[in-house]
Amino acid sequence: MFDSLDISASALLAQRTRMDTIAGNIANMNTTRNTRGEAVPYRRRFAVFASGRPDAPGKVGVSVAKIEIDRGPFRKEYQPSHPDADKEGYVSYPNVDLAVEYVNALEASRAYEANVTAMEVSKAMMNASLRLLA
Amino acid sequence: MLIEGLMNRGNGALLEQVVNFASQRHKLILENIANVDTPGYRQKDLSVERFSSMLRERVDQRRRTGSASFDDTGSKVEYPMRGILFHDRNNRSMEQLATDMAKNAMMHNLAIELLRKQFQQMDMALREKVV
Amino acid sequence: MINGVNNFGGIGRVGDLAGKSASSPGESGGASFSDTLRKSIDEVSKLQEDASRAVEDAMTGKTDNVSGVMTAVEKSDLAFKTLLAIRAKLMEAYEEIKAIQI
Repeated sequence: MFDSLDISASALLAQRTRMDTIAGNIANMNTTRNTRGEAVPYRRRFAVFASGRPDAPGKVGVSVAKIEIDRGPFRKEYQPSHPDADKEGYVSYPNVDLAVEYVNALEASRAYEANVTAMEVSKAMMNASLRLLA
Repeated sequence: MLIEGLMNRGNGALLEQVVNFASQRHKLILENIANVDTPGYRQKDLSVERFSSMLRERVDQRRRTGSASFDDTGSKVEYPMRGILFHDRNNRSMEQLATDMAKNAMMHNLAIELLRKQFQQMDMALREKVV
Repeated sequence: MINGVNNFGGIGRVGDLAGKSASSPGESGGASFSDTLRKSIDEVSKLQEDASRAVEDAMTGKTDNVSGVMTAVEKSDLAFKTLLAIRAKLMEAYEEIKAIQI
């Protein structure tokens, strides 16, 4: 019976990780340089879920299989005076669309709340069973 | 035989089966809710109608022949085809799942309460004292 | 009987209590104590059967009326408790009478 809490907890963790990647995308929306200072724009990341828990083989749940990098085209803006502009005067900005990130964030938070509610229901059922002894 | 007969009096066995079924189904619903964003995931479920009709059969059998066993009412996991299939081949429906979970939990808690009442009554009778 | 606990016929008559066995005939002009007791036991039994049936219907999905089930169960429970309390009081009375020194 206590395994049911683990199932919901794995979902909470997965949704939280997804939220983190979305937050990272939004924070780096206009980042035109990477960590080494080269003119390589930030690429959008997204979390890929998979059923099952790798840390508990045979048990059900969900987990983040990997964090994929979105290989879509960069957003180009004409700013010839920008230090990172290329030969034609275009600056490549990250392929992060704020609307998409916003909707994904809403969905992740909704799923998170649903799993919290599921946990509450599991706890209520367990308490009811325990009261059999009272 | 006498002691077992006393313990099986009333609806104890029936209620126990309902509690077991509800617990199993709850785990499946939890898994479905956890995997609502997993691409390619198919929802799992236990058939409530089949379980109810099996119980009804046993109850009728008990009324006719005076005794019936409720022991082997296990259920098989199935993959119901309901709702629409999204682009990532997941037939998610948060509304359906939340409703199912609520109904299932209520049936579980109801069965537990009735079971508790039954045990209490037997306890009272044994102790010859009103608790 | 559950409604009319006050009208317990015969409890005032000590002779009835001391002399009545389960199979002795009733007194003239009123239900005997043993008859009343037996009737009340039957009532409790019937209430318990009703409750059991209501529980079966609810668990097999035949009815949606949860409050009906809970009411039936509670009624049978109270009836049982009442019977138990009456029995306890009767045992007490019997012991007391037994202890009377003649």
